[in-house]
Amino acid sequence: MKKLKFKGLKFLLFVIALFILVSIFDFENIAKIMDKIGSMLLRILPIFALVITLTAIINYFLKPEKIMRYFGENSGIKGIFYTLLGGIISHGPMYAWYPMLDDMRKHGLKFGLIANFMYARAVKIPLLPFMVGLFGLPFTVIVNVYILIFAILQGKIIDLLIKEKEK
Amino acid sequence: MPKSNQQPTFATAFKKSLMSFLALSPMILAVIGLVALFQTYITPDMLSKFFGHGESLDILDGTVVGAISTGSGVIGYVVADGLKQQGVSDYALISFIMAWTTLSLTHLPAEASVFGIKFTAYRNILTFLCTLVIAYLSVTTLRLFL
Repeated sequence: MKKLKFKGLKFLLFVIALFILVSIFDFENIAKIMDKIGSMLLRILPIFALVITLTAIINYFLKPEKIMRYFGENSGIKGIFYTLLGGIISHGPMYAWYPMLDDMRKHGLKFGLIANFMYARAVKIPLLPFMVGLFGLPFTVIVNVYILIFAILQGKIIDLLIKEKEK
Repeated sequence: MPKSNQQPTFATAFKKSLMSFLALSPMILAVIGLVALFQTYITPDMLSKFFGHGESLDILDGTVVGAISTGSGVIGYVVADGLKQQGVSDYALISFIMAWTTLSLTHLPAEASVFGIKFTAYRNILTFLCTLVIAYLSVTTLRLFL
């Protein structure tokens, strides 16, 4: 097993420095911010568990060759379909999915398909009733169809912009 | 591509998955901290003051405000509902919702650290442009048919 190599330590130090500044200049709000962090962590812990399990299932069932076939350079329409579907049904904040995408990326997942996944997340099935309530059914259908069209377009453009040698 | 003819056990796959997650945990904690800071200092009332400058400008305002805001999708819709009550245009509302769900300033450092600056820059610029276009096209399409 490889040694654990943490990512984002500098970013975390920067945020800790911000917290120190806030605690100096606005101490009253620190408890409120900590409460928010606590409730966010509680809310997304089940999502983290889901992401870790999903990544394990993908690692277990999909060997690198299969990931390349489904999500690599020659994945075609299947790769687009699976990543759009994944984006639509995935829940929780985007950053919760970074470890899984990062892991799949190391096994050949195309950048264009990562962009597909990220943009398709704008279609949020549990929130569709809110959208229908706010904008009406025709508008909701139109917007979501456009989201999927533009998710595919965005993926294609990203693949054109990031050539293989640059990856 | 790594060669792997041996099927790993599920325990090995799970451990590997857990390690990948733990490796990114400092970044995830940092994003959560930043989101909490934004939610404390940038309130829905402050956001609503950005709107009401005409439909075209409202699309841009909606996109920018959605991008700098943070929170779950439900909160985004609650804020959008409040904005609608204040008479904000559909153009602005849809660009706001789109930007809320697809763009996030607080996630940028984490995204760049995981996927690289180039991918992050391209994706976020494209997402910003797509949000403007989708908001315009959606309202225009609806007006064509209804």
